[in-house]
Order: sequence, then C-alpha cells, then structure tokens
Amino acid sequence: MRILRYVGKRLIFIVPQLFGIILVSFLLVKMIPGDPAVLMLGPFATEEQLAKLRAEMGIEGTVLDQFWIYLKNLVQGDLGTSWQTTQPVLLDLFQRFPATLELITISLFLALAIGIPLGVAAAYFKRSMVKKFSDYYGLLAGALPDFWLGLVLIFFFYTLLGWAPAPLGRLDIAIIPPTPHTNFLIIDSLIEGNWQALWSALGRLILPVVTLGLINAGPILKMTQSTMERMLESDFIRYADTCGLPRSVVIRRALRNSLPSIVTIVSVLYGFLIGGAVLVEIVFSWGGAGQYAVQGVLNADINPVLGFVLFSAIFSLVIYLIVDLIYFAIDPRIRS
Amino acid sequence: MHPEIAAATRDPAVLSARSDAILAIRGLSVSYPVYGTEAVRAIRELDLSIARGEILGLVGESGSGKTTLARAIMGLLARPGRIDAGSVTFDGRDLRAMPEDALRAIRGKDIAMVIPNPRGELDPLVTVGRQIATVARAHLDIARDKSDELALEMLKAVQIPDPKRRFNAYPHELSGGMAQRVVMAMSLVCSPKFIISDDATSGLDVTVQAQILDLLRNLVRSHQTAMMFITRDIGITAHFCDRVAVIYAGEIVELAPTVRFFENPMHPYSVMLLAAFAHNPRLREKWHKPLASQIRAGTTGCPYAPRCVHVEDQCRGTRPALLELEPGHFVRCLVPVVRPT
Amino acid sequence: MSAVLEVSGLVKHFPIAGQRAVVQAVNGVSFSVARGETVSLVGESGSGKTTVGRCVLGLITPSGGTVHFHGAPIDKRHNIRSKTLRGRLQLVFQEPAESLDPRMRIGHTIAEPLRSLGVSQAERQQRVRETITRVGLRESTLEQYPAELSAGQQQRVGIARAIITEPELIVLDEPTSALDPTARAEIIDLLIRLQQELETAYLFISHDLSTVRYVSHRVAVMYLGMIVELGSAAEIFSHPRHPYSVGLLSSVLLPNPRLKRELTVDLKGEIPSPIDLPKGCFLAGRCPFADERCRAAMPPPDDVGGGHLVHCYHHREALRGREALDYFDQFQSEAEQVLGAGRR
Repeated sequence: MRILRYVGKRLIFIVPQLFGIILVSFLLVKMIPGDPAVLMLGPFATEEQLAKLRAEMGIEGTVLDQFWIYLKNLVQGDLGTSWQTTQPVLLDLFQRFPATLELITISLFLALAIGIPLGVAAAYFKRSMVKKFSDYYGLLAGALPDFWLGLVLIFFFYTLLGWAPAPLGRLDIAIIPPTPHTNFLIIDSLIEGNWQALWSALGRLILPVVTLGLINAGPILKMTQSTMERMLESDFIRYADTCGLPRSVVIRRALRNSLPSIVTIVSVLYGFLIGGAVLVEIVFSWGGAGQYAVQGVLNADINPVLGFVLFSAIFSLVIYLIVDLIYFAIDPRIRS
Repeated sequence: MHPEIAAATRDPAVLSARSDAILAIRGLSVSYPVYGTEAVRAIRELDLSIARGEILGLVGESGSGKTTLARAIMGLLARPGRIDAGSVTFDGRDLRAMPEDALRAIRGKDIAMVIPNPRGELDPLVTVGRQIATVARAHLDIARDKSDELALEMLKAVQIPDPKRRFNAYPHELSGGMAQRVVMAMSLVCSPKFIISDDATSGLDVTVQAQILDLLRNLVRSHQTAMMFITRDIGITAHFCDRVAVIYAGEIVELAPTVRFFENPMHPYSVMLLAAFAHNPRLREKWHKPLASQIRAGTTGCPYAPRCVHVEDQCRGTRPALLELEPGHFVRCLVPVVRPT
Repeated sequence: MSAVLEVSGLVKHFPIAGQRAVVQAVNGVSFSVARGETVSLVGESGSGKTTVGRCVLGLITPSGGTVHFHGAPIDKRHNIRSKTLRGRLQLVFQEPAESLDPRMRIGHTIAEPLRSLGVSQAERQQRVRETITRVGLRESTLEQYPAELSAGQQQRVGIARAIITEPELIVLDEPTSALDPTARAEIIDLLIRLQQELETAYLFISHDLSTVRYVSHRVAVMYLGMIVELGSAAEIFSHPRHPYSVGLLSSVLLPNPRLKRELTVDLKGEIPSPIDLPKGCFLAGRCPFADERCRAAMPPPDDVGGGHLVHCYHHREALRGREALDYFDQFQSEAEQVLGAGRR
C-alpha cells in the first residue's frame, strides 16, 4: 500500500519536472546561434521565403511564443520535424533511442559483471594482488577516453586480427534486418526467429559493449570497493564475525548493505550514457540517439535536440523511480 | 619490603590453567605497531583464568586494554594489532594455534560476545529472528524450520514481549533495550560455554540495565556459563560478579573475590577508582594525583607510578609482580595499601 | 531571593513529517533555578530533559508555557544567541570532542564568546589566561589543539568557554557522561568549585544518579516529558515518593556489594511511545500501584512539604514499608571508612 502511494506521488511530480526540463532546455537551445531557415534554404533565399518557412517551423515571434507553439504540438504527440532527416523527430527517436539503449544496457551489465566481483574481492582481501589490480584498473578506467579504447579495439580485433566485424553500424548491410517491432535489434530478430540477423547484431555489439563496459566498470568497481570496505568495518559485520558466521554469509550481508550505493552509481551512469556514449557511437557508426542529438546541435536542427532531451529526461525519471523501488525492496528502514 | 609480600607466593591458579578453568590466558602480550616509531603495547604479559560457571568482572578506564583483551581472546584483533606472545587456552584447546576456520566454528558457538550499541551490531536489512536463526544454523547443523523455532525460543527466553511478532521485526523497529536483548539471544542461542560482555550495558538506561543484568545473570547461572564482564562501571561488578579484576595500562593490577575487593582494595589505583565513584573530594585528594600526559603500557617499572600517591623510588625501576597477598586476592604493587584489621 | 530561571507550564511537541501525530517530548514542566543553585533534571532517554534544556536557552521554541530569565521572557528574539542575553546564558555539551573545533587552538576557542561581545583584544587575552588556570589547565594548553587533550581536559576547555563571560546560568547537558570515572569526578569537583566562586546557577541535565546526588541542591525527576517528582536532593534520594523515582533509584548499582538494591517498585516493561501517550498517568502501565484512578487521568501535583512535589496518588504506599535510607549517603560513609583508613 505504502509503495503504491509513493509511486503515485512520484508519478504526479513527473509532469511538472518534465515541464521544467523542457522549458530550461528550450531556452538553452534557443541560445545556440544560427538560423535553421537560412541553413535550409541556402544563401540565395528571399526574405519572404525565409519568413514563410519560419512560420511553418514555428520559429517566429518571441521565444515564449515559440515555446507555446512547441508545447501545444508536444501535447498532441508532435515533436516537430528534423530538417536533416526530413522525418518527424518522434519517428527518428523511436529508431535511434533503442539503438543506444541496447548498447548501454548490455554495456552496463558487463560493467557490473566486472566491477562488483572485483570490488568485493578488493575490499575483502586488503593486501592482495586483487586489490592492487583493482586499484590500477580504477585508475586506468578513469583516465582512458572511451572512444580511444574503442579505436584501439577496432585496430586490434578488426584491422589486425580480423576477428571482429567492421565497425559500421548495428547490422551487416548484406543481411535483411528484421521487421522493426521494438527497434531493439536483438528483441526484433528473436521475435521473428531471424537467427542470421541476431548473430550479426550480437557480433556488432561485442566491441562497443566491451569498450563501454571496461570503462564504466571503473566507477562501479570503485564504489563497490569503498562501500564494501566501509561495511566490512561496520559494527554489525564485525559482530557477524564475532558470532562465527561463515565467510560467505558475512560477505553476502556486507554486499547487500552496499547495494544501495551500487544501484545509485549504476543509475547515474545509465542516465549519463544515453548522451555520454556518443563518441563511441560515432566510432562504431552506431546511429544512436546521442549521435542524432549532436548532429542536431551542430546544424541548428532544434527539434531533434529537444526531442532527445525530452526522451532522456523521461528515461532518467523512470530509472530513478526504479532505483527508488529497489531501495524500497532492499531497505526496511525506508519501507516503514 | 612489606612482610606480606615477602610471605606471598605466586599462585598457580593465576599462572597456569586451573583444572576447572574454561579459559586460561598466560603471558599474553598485544601491541599495535605504529608506522615509523615504537609499537604501542596494549596488553602486557597478562595472566588470567576463569572457572566454569564463574562471572569475572574486568574493570578499567578507556585505553586500559580491556576491549583489546576481549578481541585478542576471540582472535579478532582490530588491524594492525598483533599478539606478540602468550597463549589463550579455551576448554583445553590452544586458540592461538587454531586456523581461522576452526576459530570461526568456535566463535558464536562456544565463545559468544555481547557488545554495546546493540542496534549497530545488528544487520539493518535482516529481521532479528532471521539473524538469531542464522547464528544457530551456522553452528548447530539444524534445518531451517528448526533454527527458526530455536530463535523464537531464545526471544522468549530473553523476555521480549510479543516474541512472535518481534521475530519479523527489523532492528530499527526496536528500542535500545530490546535490541540488547536480541544481541543477548544471538549470543546465547548456541548455549556457549563462555561469554564475553564488552561494556554491553553501558548505553542503556538504568532501569533497563537493571532488567538486562537480572536476565543475563539468570541465563548464565542456569546454563553454568562462564562470563567475562568488561565494564567501566565498577558499581555493576559489585552486584553482578564473583571476582573482580582491575586492568590498568594493559596489566591486571588487582584481582580478588568481589566482597573482598570492596572491603579491602589494596592497589592504589583500585582505591583511587573507588574514591572517584564515592564523589568524595577529600578521599580523592588522598589517592589521586592529576596526570599531565597519557601513560603507555610497557614502561619500565610500575605503569601506575606517575599517578600513584604511594610511589617510591623502587616503583620506577622494578615492575611489580602479581602476588597473592591474602587467599585469592592478588595485587601487582610493591607498596600495597594496608588497613588496620 | 528572585529566581534566575523560571520555567512554567513548558510544553514542546515535535511534528512528525507527513503525519498528523506529534512527538510529545515535554508535557507541562515547571521549575525554577535560583542564583548559585544547581537544579538537576534526571530521567532516562525519552524523558524530555534535553528538550527542556534547549527550550530554556531559546534554541527551540516551546509549543506552550513560558521561560523567564531574570523576569524577562526567553523567546525567538531573546535567547542565547541574541545580543541582549549573549554571554549571560551558556551551554556545556556532552561530547567535549565534538563541541570543540578541531582546527582551532584552545585559546581561540575559549576567547570566542568574548569576541562576539566585543571585548578588546588585550582584555580578551587577560581573561583567557585567567580562565584557563581557573579550570585547572596550564597556560600552555592555550596553544594546543583539542586532539592533543584527554577527554577530561577537553571538557575543562568546554567549561572554560562557558564561564569566561561569567554567565548567570549554565545549562550542563550530560557534561560527564562521556568521561571515565576519575575524569568525571574531577569535572564535578571543578563545577562545584566554580559555582561557589561565581555564584552561577546550574541546570544540570543527567541520567547519572550518583553524580546528580552529589552536585544538586534540588532534583527534578522526569518521565515522558513530565516532572513526576521535584524536591531537595537529600529528600529525593532518602525519601523518593513517586514509584518511578523509587524504581529509578533502586536500579542504581553502587560500588559496594553489601548495599543491595531492594526491589520495592519493580518497573516492568517498556517506556510508552511519546507519540502515543496513555490517557492517565504515564507510568500506569508499568507501576505496581496503578489502579483505575491512575489510568483515568494524570494525577495532580501533591505538595508533601518543603517544596517537595509528587505527581502520584499512591506516593504514600510507595514510601511505606521502606526504611528512610539514603543508599548514596550510606555508600559515602562506608567508602569513607574503607578508603579513608588505608595507608601504605
């Protein structure tokens, strides 16, 4: 019951939160110099042509007028059109957001699979090689740029060894893509039983996932290690030792108490990576949401940028809601 | 030298394990290495034995080494502490020679420990009943439903009201006194032969403390459990313990049967402690010398010498031995306090 | 003799976030403290004694009732932080280490209250030197940092900081609870000596009854935000009348195995929650004397003479059957016998 009330409250607040985010990002985007009408029609367009186009695009009048127009369209599910792709932004985002989500979700699972065990081991065995290794690992993961690591991986595994597929998008062009139900390639090809597409998609995922996974395991490792260290020093873990509980029980208890911090860092990384993976997306020609937004910014294509911000905001709010629910499940002190 | 001391003999009960001793500590020294300088000695050549079913009160101020002693017995010294010498024999077995896994099997089963700040000692994410049951299952080789049953029984034994409901309560839902009872239930669930209580009642209100002490004594007596009751509050030892040991700078300075200790305290430090509790400035002035700096264990001579009102030249050069000055009454002092009989 | 501090009908309820219920921390407390007098508030956790102390200093605003300092009210505008009363009221904390700024030299810490009063640099230095010796520390201590001092010395610094403005009232919130017995005894002696020299009024908040017995002129026993019994220290300790006072006092274990506590009043069970207080006497659920009358309404105060007030219908029964014996007094005299006789 409590939890339902809590979720209800959170959902009510989502609307004003989104409004605030849209308002702020709208104003910020409007500050980017450049007139899309000029960019679209070229240097030889007449004033009349320009004015007509601006009216069509809803970019005439004051900024607030424009915001009002944007909001009205938004309520009807119209995020405007991108003049670069000449498609509705909503459609573009439905294609590109899943591409990014697929990539970063799998990457985060890899990062968790590396970070948590290493962090736990480094915290428990204080004077071991594992601890030294994880210290260096954390340092390196923090210092290396992800796109650089991606390029190195491409050089070794594609250029030199030829083990990995070409870094040219999510699917081999020679393969017929599955019908886009969800636009998550893995899910779509599973739905259709298109094993060829599935195989190709998975193959193409390997290098970018490894890139992002290795880099993002760093913060997860560090957070796990430091929280675990604190937990292992805590009174109740010391008391569990005093009671002679087996090592496995002691570690499990410490890890469970560390979970809230780990969940928090993962949620932060998740939200960040939607846009933060953009360099890796570019390196692998991924065609993801971040790439789409950056193109928009560079070409004064406002609607994709706003659409991207809106999508990311909704995604982040959903993630934070899920995080809160996880806290709820883990910690009885929050429940009561 | 005093005639009493000349006549005194070193008692084998202290120096070696008595036949009925559940725990015998011999020549135990513990130190904490400090980077770049000499190690801090926390316990110095300490001898102590506790008989089966006996409650021994160990009184000391903060920094006296009483918690270090407890943790050394359990083999759980905080980093970077280490045992330099000595032996800890429990029920005829040398604990120091045991591998970690064997010690884990003993901790919580044969030797249990009760600690203060009970709410901090419990895992906040696990129900208290489950925590008690986990200890039982770790040591007793019983099925889950049996261990739950046992945990519920323990909650009843420590007189927690409405034990069935409390079984599923989380630590934050309990009051301090209730949480202390849960910790007691955890430490008693395997019917240990020996319990160390480290200042376990210090955070509690007096009326709750009185209830907890009554309960603890009844449970300990009915199970013939031996106990080392560590405390700063010498008042508790007067009513709760069979023998009282006073620890100062990592050494036992006085050890006596309770009644005898309070009738005839012989170490100047014991007397000073008692005077502090009496809130009698005249007595304190007589026994107390304000101290400028902290004393470290392991100085040559008597560690209490800088604070002692009785100090003589010999005290600074010679480390006194723990001698039996009357039956069962041991004092580590070259010039002990004497009273007209 | 006019009172330095006059508290009457003090009530403090704390709201709970997101709920209509409140924590009823203080429920109608009245007492006064005269010049040079020590009044102790004793009670267990949840008794509201610390909340009373904070209301007295104006650190929190009461929900009802008044606090007067020399006849003038203490409220939002006139409190320990306001210009009018700054320096005349002081506070000493429980944890000396936490109440001192670890990065500030002792001399600086002690001088701080004077700085806010606008005392000149020269006079500040003079007063700081006087005060540090007054609390029994060396002048060289002024150059040290808190971490270099023992807990007892740190508390002396806390006291020095409080007395440097020569306040008329000091609220001492568990000033000795974090200390070892010997340090505790020294601090208590110091507080008594300072009071004799400066005629300061003390409001001494503590759960440590043997200390309270020794420092106080008058004692107020608190239970769940009420003063259940108020009287002179000698009276309360030799003839406690409220069943809670009796139970509380008999729970104290004095360091003398022959002074066994007698359980005339066995307080069973747990303290009720201050969010959901019973209708009648708050102790009724734990008290062996409780009857219908107790459960119906809170008993009014009964003056048993000499300003000794008891909130109980059954205080005569609680008193009966017990010889009038102050265990603390007897302990003192026996301690005197044993410890006074010893020699080398």
